[in-house]
Amino acid sequence: MKPSRRDFLKLVGVVASSAALSSCAPVYENLARLDENPRFDIEGVSAQDFALVNRLTFGAGAADLTRVAEIGIQAWFAEQLEYESVSDDSCNIRLRQFKTLGLSANDLFDISDKIFDDQDRHTVPNELRQATLMRQTYSRRQFYERMVEFWSDHFNISTEKGDCFYLKTVDDREVIRPHALGFFSDLLWASSHSPAMLFYLDNQSNLKDAPNENYAREVMELHSLGVDGGYSQQDVMELARCLTGWTMKEHFWRGDFHFDEDVHDFAPKKVLGKEISASGLDEAERVIRDLGLHPSTAHFLGTKLCRRFIADEPPAVLVNLVADTFIATNGDIRAVMQTLLKEGIPHIQPKFKRPADFIISALRLLDARTDGGAALHKYLGRMGQPYFTWPTPDGYPDTSTPWMSNLMPRWQFAAALAQNKIKGTKIDVEYLLELSGAKEIESFTKWMSALLLGAPLSENECKKMADALRSAGTGDEISTARVIIAGLLASPAFQWR
Amino acid sequence: MKTQHISQIARKPLLSFAPVETAPRGDVLVLVFLRGAADVLNMVVPHGEDEYYKLRPALSIPRPDDSKSKKEERTVDLDGFFGLHPILSPLLPIWQEGHLGLVHACGAHDDSHSHFKAQELMERGVDNEGGSASGWLGRHLATLNTGNPSPMRAIALGELPQRSLYGSVPVSSLRSIEDFKLRGNETAVLQMQAALGALYSGKDPLSGLGRETLRILDTLEKIAPSSDERVYPDSSFGRGLREIASIIKAEVGLEVAAIDLDGWDTHFAQGVQTGLMPRLMNDLAEGLAAFHEEMLDHADRLTLVVMTEFGRRAYENASLGTDHGHGGMMMLIGGNLNTRGVFGQWPGLKPHQLYGPGDLAVTTDYRDILGEICAKRLNNPALDNIFPDYAVKMQNLFL
Repeated sequence: MKPSRRDFLKLVGVVASSAALSSCAPVYENLARLDENPRFDIEGVSAQDFALVNRLTFGAGAADLTRVAEIGIQAWFAEQLEYESVSDDSCNIRLRQFKTLGLSANDLFDISDKIFDDQDRHTVPNELRQATLMRQTYSRRQFYERMVEFWSDHFNISTEKGDCFYLKTVDDREVIRPHALGFFSDLLWASSHSPAMLFYLDNQSNLKDAPNENYAREVMELHSLGVDGGYSQQDVMELARCLTGWTMKEHFWRGDFHFDEDVHDFAPKKVLGKEISASGLDEAERVIRDLGLHPSTAHFLGTKLCRRFIADEPPAVLVNLVADTFIATNGDIRAVMQTLLKEGIPHIQPKFKRPADFIISALRLLDARTDGGAALHKYLGRMGQPYFTWPTPDGYPDTSTPWMSNLMPRWQFAAALAQNKIKGTKIDVEYLLELSGAKEIESFTKWMSALLLGAPLSENECKKMADALRSAGTGDEISTARVIIAGLLASPAFQWR
Repeated sequence: MKTQHISQIARKPLLSFAPVETAPRGDVLVLVFLRGAADVLNMVVPHGEDEYYKLRPALSIPRPDDSKSKKEERTVDLDGFFGLHPILSPLLPIWQEGHLGLVHACGAHDDSHSHFKAQELMERGVDNEGGSASGWLGRHLATLNTGNPSPMRAIALGELPQRSLYGSVPVSSLRSIEDFKLRGNETAVLQMQAALGALYSGKDPLSGLGRETLRILDTLEKIAPSSDERVYPDSSFGRGLREIASIIKAEVGLEVAAIDLDGWDTHFAQGVQTGLMPRLMNDLAEGLAAFHEEMLDHADRLTLVVMTEFGRRAYENASLGTDHGHGGMMMLIGGNLNTRGVFGQWPGLKPHQLYGPGDLAVTTDYRDILGEICAKRLNNPALDNIFPDYAVKMQNLFL
């Protein structure tokens, strides 16, 4: 199943030729030029490698590129897929400060209860937000963290809804992370038994004689088959009846999954053409097992994964190939991703960075140090992607249009980062300037654009930028360097990945 | 009771799949949320109701003709039955112009008495925790295409968007116009803007949006700090309203602005003429009056709503405060009201008329008012989507 060296050589050629497809993404336009302009001092990293690493990680940082230079892009991706073997100690040490990540739902609920006053609904979800940002920034298992992000969107849960504020921490730990590169049916199974999901989609109110269809519908429409996946309203109603009584414990082990027989509808049901005999908990579990392996699910997930990693509008031919692998491997996510990459590269189109992509790629490419804390989350909020708070179950939008008109907070972030005005986050501009060896605006712009965009701006573009800066006034060397960094981070090219 | 709630839950349409209506922009909507549950009985005072004075021996606002109290401490009569707390009298000119509507005993049916839950449900525009987690304004924005590409189509004053705006990307949240500026020393800012101008000079859609953002930046920079006589209170609320006024006048595509005034949870020593609640009322009234005066020329395309999650207990507590109640009140300000007035059916304050532990009842659902505004003033007919599972009853307050 592993892509051969030839496959990757094939990829490399096609990336370069697909580069001209987009006028709005100099990253790709400029790819072909990169080989003549090596960035940093990393030998053996091609423009294509840079683009691919950028797409599969939260930003092609120096550590990733060095590793690619060491072992080659093919081995690097194989290593990223077998993420368990990638040591992540330095990230794990940073995460030790977050005491709530490992607690049970019951404990999380208890420590949030201020008893005489209201609840502290912030400490627990804020630690999850901060830890998530730290992992995305510092983890060596970058591709795995990308998949965690993908599934967190796919199985979206908003911490703003009722008990989800603490239950999501458990969902993240026990549903999303263990199965992010496992088998989809296991992931779907775990999610269906996750109190955070059941509560988020109202299944605690799904009772015999008073069914609530919310979760039953979304598990088919958004989590597996897709809206055109071949289920009917009748199927939704019948599955809702199968799911009656799926809820969580409220005492002693509060927040643990609980099947409440007393409110379960034991009458026979029929879902997607199959008779479901009365057997309690097992009824919905049988359906969920089938949903996780269904051809419509393969197709729906294939579409979403291709949209995330290849293009906003992925071609049907690619989606079909990916779905075929899904079916052939019973939903082995690793195998699916191998096919997706092997077959998908020719179809790659620029993706507009979502706020998290934008912020974290800036941090990683500039080798920033950060605590992943409140100041960054404030920017994420103002850009429209505060973690774990998208209200509707479809997850944060994964196409360009919804994000494009909110540029101002990105520009402000760019300026603040370059000036080291973000609390808990720092970059070393003096060092970058020294490393570049640049003596004037043009050469620093060129060097920095290669670092951030994967290829330097053209002589003409560097000159245009330098002219603009000079016409607006002159500052000292360092402050001019800061403006150049800010401008490049804020530039149209850096908004794409 | 649980079953009764559940039977009301039907399928909530998903925001992302909702049909989008196309219509021209309507009024600019300014939404003021009084957080903490304002004691509306001491704001729009039912001075014609004897029970009010019996329930509040220490906290009531004297009748307009109460010769035993100082004139400036008496209720300011509006219609012979209701009157304004004297500290709210800066609103009188608005009343006299016919631009003020007050909907009493207005609110939600949730009786949790929990600030958190009541605010959440009200901003989501739903009756129970089930269903879509997006906000009613977010759904309004997502279901109406006004052909307006402005990054300032919706703004939230504060650090993060109000819950009511959730589900709509992008919403610009800012504390002030300063937040829509680039920071740093003067040279750095000028250089940054110059660099952005050079970088966003292409023909692609993103460069176009970048130039639009630069244009707004430029427009907002030219807004001179308001130097006229109108005095906004020196508070985050006053400053916020002033920013909203400037942004409306700058014509940068604003359709919806949300702003909060916090601190209304007056369990203890809330104050009658001075103290905690009078200070808040002063902030509110001075702010609204200054805003209204400044925006007089724009009144025919402006609707401002003041709301709170619920009202407070009809009787005062032993700490000279009031506990969590039920029925609230909405203030409506704008040039498109049919007429001024205190609206809504008054439920009364006699023991059998009170709701639950002694609260003002709710006779008008807040969604009847907001729904009418969406339909008539914002040109959005998608009320089924904005307020799922609720049939809006138009009160005919607006043109």
